[in-house]
Amino acid sequence: MAAKVAGRRYRAWYAMLLRRYPRPFHERFGEGMEQTFHDLCRERRDAGQGLFGLALWVFFETLAGIVRENTNQMSQMQKTVLRVALVALGLLMVPIVASRLVPGWNWPVGAFVFTYVLFFGTGMAYALIARKMGAWSYKAAVGLALAGGFVMGWATMVHMSETENPVNLVYFGVLAVGAVGAGLARLEARRMAWAMYAMAAALAVAFVITQVLATDTPAGPVWSAGAMHGGFVALFAAAGLLFRRASLAGLK
Amino acid sequence: MAKKEAAPAPLTPAVLHILLALSTGERHGYGIMKQVEADSQGKVRMGPGTLYGSIGRMMEAGLVRECDKRVDPEMDDARRIYYELTSVGRAALEAELKRYRGVVAVAEGRLAYGG
Repeated sequence: MAAKVAGRRYRAWYAMLLRRYPRPFHERFGEGMEQTFHDLCRERRDAGQGLFGLALWVFFETLAGIVRENTNQMSQMQKTVLRVALVALGLLMVPIVASRLVPGWNWPVGAFVFTYVLFFGTGMAYALIARKMGAWSYKAAVGLALAGGFVMGWATMVHMSETENPVNLVYFGVLAVGAVGAGLARLEARRMAWAMYAMAAALAVAFVITQVLATDTPAGPVWSAGAMHGGFVALFAAAGLLFRRASLAGLK
Repeated sequence: MAKKEAAPAPLTPAVLHILLALSTGERHGYGIMKQVEADSQGKVRMGPGTLYGSIGRMMEAGLVRECDKRVDPEMDDARRIYYELTSVGRAALEAELKRYRGVVAVAEGRLAYGG
């Protein structure tokens, strides 16, 4: 008697779960799936076995099917958004785990949300820009530029929160040069190369400005800062060269 | 120049098992599930999510079709939808088995030479 009641309850829950399938799939196979689950329950009951294990397995297995069918129904754009959101979530796990393990790492919730938005925004920018062009050099250039811009912006925010020196705002100016340049270039490869060269040059100028004006902070060795800036300049220049290569291949 | 015909892609294990289960006649969902279990000596246990998801894709590919809705004489109660192989499905199954035979022949040849 108890097994019959449990069976009825599981079947009611299963029917509810099946409604999570896309409507056309549910209309076509929902009844058959319910019937099959009913048959499996009856088989178990007749063998004198409990239903909990079966229900758990079938519910998980069906849930996987629901995710698969709903993903198949998504447009390419929805799939891209979902992928980027999941990758951003994966990346966010790094600071979340680190905040649990590293002493003194006490980010407020807002910082995690902001970080997620940054990861997601950067990922979407890459996905939307890179998918316009098929050439690997264009995709690599977009990836380099965005990764470089992201790391530079992040490092600047961290540095500013520690030193509160407004002269570091000049680095956001470098990012603005890149953003405005990309806008003016309309993402066309040859012009994007020039935008990247401009960004590299702006960063070199920013380095000089910060070295001249940043007298109130205990500066590390100049060569160390120079090497770091040089690395970013080389990265943006490399992105420019890759855009140039894409343009020479006759791509816009 | 004659266009070279593309080789059919290997079938997924679920699709192959369903085709095999239907190769001897029409079956409903639960019947397919039980036949797959029997064919694989209990090694393959297919849930409703995998079964009906695969059937949906196989119907789109023209490998199987719904035949009718009727009561299973061995199971009493409700009317069930039965599925059957199409000629395309049977051809796909034969092609897949041929591919498997080729793989097995190569593997046996290699193993016979110890290597």
